[in-house]
Amino acid sequence: MKRDRLEIIFDILNSIREKTGIVLQTHILYKSNLSHQMLVEYVGELIEKGFILENEDKKGKKNYELTKKGYNYLNDYQVIRGFVDSYGLN
Amino acid sequence: MSLAYLSPLWFFGYDVALEFLFAVVALMVSIFAFRIYKKTNQGQVKLFGISFSFISMSYFIQSFFNFLIVSEVNAHVCSALKIQSIQMFDAAGLYFHMILMTIGLAVLAYMTIKSEKIRILWMMIALSLFGIFLSASRLYVFFLFSTIFLILLEWHFITNYLQNKQKKTLFIAIAFLLMLFGNIHFLVSVNHQLFYVIGHVLELIAYLLILSNFYLVLKK
Repeated sequence: MKRDRLEIIFDILNSIREKTGIVLQTHILYKSNLSHQMLVEYVGELIEKGFILENEDKKGKKNYELTKKGYNYLNDYQVIRGFVDSYGLN
Repeated sequence: MSLAYLSPLWFFGYDVALEFLFAVVALMVSIFAFRIYKKTNQGQVKLFGISFSFISMSYFIQSFFNFLIVSEVNAHVCSALKIQSIQMFDAAGLYFHMILMTIGLAVLAYMTIKSEKIRILWMMIALSLFGIFLSASRLYVFFLFSTIFLILLEWHFITNYLQNKQKKTLFIAIAFLLMLFGNIHFLVSVNHQLFYVIGHVLELIAYLLILSNFYLVLKK
């Protein structure tokens, strides 16, 4: 079954949480099962909306960190899912 | 033509309480939708919250003006404003209710068509409001537009139930079906006093179903 936007966001954020909150983009790509272009779009949106932060290490490699808003989304996902599904808001 | 004169005498007061209850339930759903929007930034959830805010306001206003009509406060306010009759309250309550409810249902119907062209929403609101207020039979046309919007909504909620067969989706599909029946009943009924009572009872069941869905969503 095709995943909707909410589920894809959950998968991306969850892939970061599983790795104690900070990961490289390749890890998200592997775990979220998205094309590179789709991932770039989703990550850009999640940064813009404050769910994740983009950092750079000393070698210039980008990593991604879950914010408080991102953790809240994951914790409330079942409630969000229930509400959105009941009214067909996806 | 007004709603207050449609109400049977024995139902005065009960209608005020029921409308207040509908307003509170709609407000709860609206606040919850905005909280979900804050977490997800989903445009549809925002529209849903806005629509239920308008629906809630429409019931609060209807309840408030109906309360003024049936309560003793009415005499004091009439005297203070030098109004000879309660007709002004009745008309004001009715018009505010029609405007807010029409906007609420139009936003909700727009949400279901999943269009990103906001001009469609403005057109839906403008057409329905002009249609109502330029008509000789405003209340009738109001129920006609509400019925059209509710048919669109019911279509959406039944499709949603068929795609996602859960108790929650079923409750919402039935709730909007009952609201639709209430509207259709008015359009075809001869005894409008009976409609007023039946309409309120159907809405009560509908809002209780929405409340039950709310409980199911919050129950993890």
